[in-house]
Amino acid sequence: MSTVRIACLFGAIIVASVNIVFSQTADEIIQKHVAAIGGEANWKKIQSIKKVCTRNSRGNELPVIITVLQGKGYKYETTVSGMTSYSIITDKEGWFYNPSRGQQKPDVMTEESVKQAQSVLDIQGPLIGYKEKGKKITYLGKDDVEGTECFKLKVLYPTGREETYFIDAADYSLVRIVAKTKANGREQTQATTYGSYEKLPEGITIPMSSDNGGGSVNVKSVVINGTIDENTFKIQN
Amino acid sequence: MKQFFLLLFSTMFVGSMQAQTKVNSYTFGALEARWLGPGTMSGRTTAIVGVVSDNKTLYIGTAGGGVWKSTNAGASFKPIFDKYCMSIGAIAVDQANPSTVFVGTGESNMRNTVSIGDGLYKSTDAGDNWVKVGLDSTEHIAKIIIDPKNANTIYVAAPGPLWSDSKHRGLYKSTDGGTTWNKILYINEKTGCADIAVDPNNPDIIYATTWEFRRKPYSFSSGGMGSGMWKSTDGGKNWRELKNGLPVKPFGRIALTLAPSAPQNMIAIVEAKETGLYISSDAGETWKSQSATMNVVSRPFYFSCLVIDPKDPKRVYRPGFGFSYSDDGGYSFTDASYDGGWVHSDHHALWINPNYTNQMYLATDGGIYYSLDRGATWMFVYNLPVGQFYHVACDNSTPYRMYGGLQDNGSWMAPSAAPGGVNNSSWQDMYGGDGFWVQPDPTDSNIAYAESQGGNMGRIDLRTFKSVDITPQAGKDEEKLRWNWNTPIVTGQANGRNLYTAAQYLFKSKNQGRIWQRISPDLTTNDKKKQQQEESGGLSEDNTSAENHCTIFTIAESPLDENLIWVGTDDGNLQVVTDGGKSWINVSKNYEAAGIPAQTWVSSIEPSRFDKNTVYVTFDNHMYGDMNTYVAKSTDLGKTWTRIKSDEFTGFAHKIKEDLVNKGLLFLGTERGMFASNDGGARWFRMKNHIPDYAMVRDIQIQPKTNDLVIATHGRGIMVVNDITPIRMLTKDVVDQDVVLFDSKPMEITTGKYGGGGSPVSGGWYGGNPDNIAPIEYYLKERATKDVKLEIYDAEGKLVQSVPGTKRKGVNKVYWNLRWTPPKTATGSTKMDYGGFIAPMVLPGNYTLKLKVGDKEYSKLLSLVHDNSNKLFTVEDRKEQYDVAMRLYHMHEELYALVNKINAEQKTIKDNMDSLTRPQNKKLLKEYNTKLEELRSTLLATKHKSIFADEKKLREYITEVYGSVCGQECKPSNLQTERVAVLMEDLKKGQQTYEKLYAEYNTKTAAAIKDDKAKSKSPTPRSGN
Repeated sequence: MSTVRIACLFGAIIVASVNIVFSQTADEIIQKHVAAIGGEANWKKIQSIKKVCTRNSRGNELPVIITVLQGKGYKYETTVSGMTSYSIITDKEGWFYNPSRGQQKPDVMTEESVKQAQSVLDIQGPLIGYKEKGKKITYLGKDDVEGTECFKLKVLYPTGREETYFIDAADYSLVRIVAKTKANGREQTQATTYGSYEKLPEGITIPMSSDNGGGSVNVKSVVINGTIDENTFKIQN
Repeated sequence: MKQFFLLLFSTMFVGSMQAQTKVNSYTFGALEARWLGPGTMSGRTTAIVGVVSDNKTLYIGTAGGGVWKSTNAGASFKPIFDKYCMSIGAIAVDQANPSTVFVGTGESNMRNTVSIGDGLYKSTDAGDNWVKVGLDSTEHIAKIIIDPKNANTIYVAAPGPLWSDSKHRGLYKSTDGGTTWNKILYINEKTGCADIAVDPNNPDIIYATTWEFRRKPYSFSSGGMGSGMWKSTDGGKNWRELKNGLPVKPFGRIALTLAPSAPQNMIAIVEAKETGLYISSDAGETWKSQSATMNVVSRPFYFSCLVIDPKDPKRVYRPGFGFSYSDDGGYSFTDASYDGGWVHSDHHALWINPNYTNQMYLATDGGIYYSLDRGATWMFVYNLPVGQFYHVACDNSTPYRMYGGLQDNGSWMAPSAAPGGVNNSSWQDMYGGDGFWVQPDPTDSNIAYAESQGGNMGRIDLRTFKSVDITPQAGKDEEKLRWNWNTPIVTGQANGRNLYTAAQYLFKSKNQGRIWQRISPDLTTNDKKKQQQEESGGLSEDNTSAENHCTIFTIAESPLDENLIWVGTDDGNLQVVTDGGKSWINVSKNYEAAGIPAQTWVSSIEPSRFDKNTVYVTFDNHMYGDMNTYVAKSTDLGKTWTRIKSDEFTGFAHKIKEDLVNKGLLFLGTERGMFASNDGGARWFRMKNHIPDYAMVRDIQIQPKTNDLVIATHGRGIMVVNDITPIRMLTKDVVDQDVVLFDSKPMEITTGKYGGGGSPVSGGWYGGNPDNIAPIEYYLKERATKDVKLEIYDAEGKLVQSVPGTKRKGVNKVYWNLRWTPPKTATGSTKMDYGGFIAPMVLPGNYTLKLKVGDKEYSKLLSLVHDNSNKLFTVEDRKEQYDVAMRLYHMHEELYALVNKINAEQKTIKDNMDSLTRPQNKKLLKEYNTKLEELRSTLLATKHKSIFADEKKLREYITEVYGSVCGQECKPSNLQTERVAVLMEDLKKGQQTYEKLYAEYNTKTAAAIKDDKAKSKSPTPRSGN
């Protein structure tokens, strides 16, 4: 093989790899991402999840419990100084209660807020079976998240909620979601960064840490498909 | 051959590994710049568009700060274009589908300092993401219009390049939503398209104005036979020049508009020999000259905005030098009132809400104003930090103060930190005019030097802000002094007593500008052909000193030798003297040999602080149409030069800065970005540390005490990257390691240097403070996929606190508050107690840091020292404070344990009460419970739930003292200390009461439950105690 042919081959390898990178479509990226986190079949078996976590606040490890029943209810509870606050989202309504701020009974969320927040009812996330879920997804090219090259996918919900997914271009794990909501006459943006992925016995891989700017939430234990009483998502005060 | 392939692939692999580990834009991303503003003095804004359907979404285009968006009618703004060009010429929103937004880059207010654009951008998601859709070489875009009946049709008026001939100018049209473009009106390489109007009723009717113009470094010309007014009735296929009633050509710039509610009514300001206002009521076929006020016709090259009310064809607005409006279709004008405050002069854009035409937004050289009374009075928007600094300087105060001058907005100073954080009120206006250089006197902290355009300069007393004119004057037989628009005035780096300024000569003063000595001959080329500024302007004379030429632009005294002085001129001379001013050597021919064009403006000179013979210089040739980045280095006092190049560079160069500690660390600011090199200039990366990718960086300083990188941007105010020590430490050895926990300097134990700021500032710009407590920093070669945390241990090996770490690739910062882990506090109250979030500060000593990344651990020692700068808080005070705080800490934990016991007893009672059948047992449990509750209610708040009901019991009283003692840097007062003893007694009483109750009731109640349950089939287990 002549030097020239070798050089051509070398060039071809580079060009081919570049083409591979640039010819990615949203479908391909989603497929690889879903495969990287355990595959669609495994995820579709997930009907409930309960995560016991901690959130660090000024040196305190505050307990956090996140409970989700697919399509029906979501509850986020945290206990501070013995007082438990929570937010509940169901397929019909939403509540939030924070006694540590002097709230004496749960407040109902506005209909618009509930609609925007109901994305949390989907444990699988919008990328699993996104077509059947009516999500419109656009590939926006590559972008950098804190030094990690990511694929950038914009997910548009039928409710108008927008989420931008940043997926690690190397291992297809989820690095960050930036959610934009429009409700109650306001537009709000929140970025959540994910990490510490672990594969569970159920075959799915989930992030064991997340941070939305309010302190890192670390998952200590997870129960998948455990029995969850729907009363969990009813207000208690 | 097999070996060859192995070698080939191993080379690829190694190359790949090296590529992964090299320092890049993101390595230091965690060192995010603070944006300090000011917002109280904003900057030049160039475009405004609102979304008609929601009445509250606004897009603001700026001269040098990108695009800002508000979704709340201006209550707050966010930058949405920070990855792209910062100079904005025009914005358009598809009002039928407001998610589609176009941004044309390259401002078209063709002043001397106008920046350049790189094309047209489109967003289909309301500004979240952008794609460039062409017109890359137009450099300036004046207006974009989307066909109101067919959003796929878009018109773009491109005046085109200012500094050179170009075919990339004219009126462009797209019929496919911006994918492809055709030039539909083109005159010649000197004439572009300045304005356009489309008939909303019949969008095939288009009006356009063409403009012939040109700048050179030493002159400006607006006007020529290429300028004209044009009309097409077939969507731009054919054009006819409109002349009837207009003055005799040549024209200059023409501003033109039509009444949206009656499009046959048009109005235009035509720059000509006599610039005038013209009105047409027949769709431009005939025009009639009208008398107009000075404001209406002044400076047409710079004020090109003319707007008619969307609903009222008689209401005409002329934002210009000031703000004028007419109620009779332009026949007569009046000026806006200054009731409520001055409205900054120099207006460039106006947006009127068509739904409510009283509401309008005005773009000026000083920022954005809004009016709710049709422009009669205006209110300023204080939250847009888009000021255009030319230079920045820092002093050595603590906190240090930053000084700088702004385009059209005077000179300002602010502390780098302030109680409550740096905000609008931190900024002090200190000198008028256009601001440029401001220099604090290194030898006298009460004095600074500032200037305004054209070499007017003053010595300012910083106690009163009164100033004394210190401008040097021409001597006998000397030529008129030629001062640059941006005249240098600098203090010596080797000898701070030396003050320099320069016209064509260099002047030096050793006594604060009281006595000046000329220490050079004319150091410029003194080319008389370039000194005819009185004829500059074209059709409208415009000689504001902006075109002054053959002047000295930069002066630098070597930090190592006050007799070694460098001078650079705007006409390409680079001069050096080694004897304090006697024997000047012009080395300009030498830099040409390195590939720097002759005549190139010398924009900055950086004599090395490590080697007298070494100097770095930036050159700026954009005024000859050459936008390349020119940087060069000499190690032999300018005899030979090496050009510093990088594929990363974009934009003409303004400033190079050598680090104060690491001689291989260099920073470069250009018109399009901030760059750094940590290997002496061999490789460069764009700094993206919360700095817009294409920020216009005019000046860079490093504050020697704090090691802050202080950046003057021409459109985003002052930015500060706090403490660049990690950048200095990231040597190649460090970069190649997976994880590096950096050494920390001995750290002072403090709650932070500043207090104040109970409530966040509302309605202004907030730049915050540096970290109250220095972060602990580490480097990760790759993003961590496992848990990261930092554990701190004291000298005895006791865990002090565990802090979660970040996982980003590159440098990470983690914050330990220098305190113990907070105590457990009693639970079961009706209100929150913040005692559980407070911990005592640790004592001085050695601590061990353990960084845990997954299953690997990295350790370093950290020395904590007492903050000796606080003279009111001695080491002995600290020990006493610690002792009291720890007593209270333990009281909280004891109270927690006590209340837990009570809670457990009460839970047992509650769990069993309902199932008890025997009345005497019930009565016993009830009695026990009541007594426990009586006790509990003395230990913590149990009644009031409202945050406005201030119920205080033992827990709250402990926290009251505990919070005060822990939160301050002061020896506890006598009463605080005595209070601890009182509370301790209360706690003991509570413990004793409980023990007594427990002794009295626990056995009895347990027996009662047992007795009762014995008769039950399913007894409830008793909880332990």
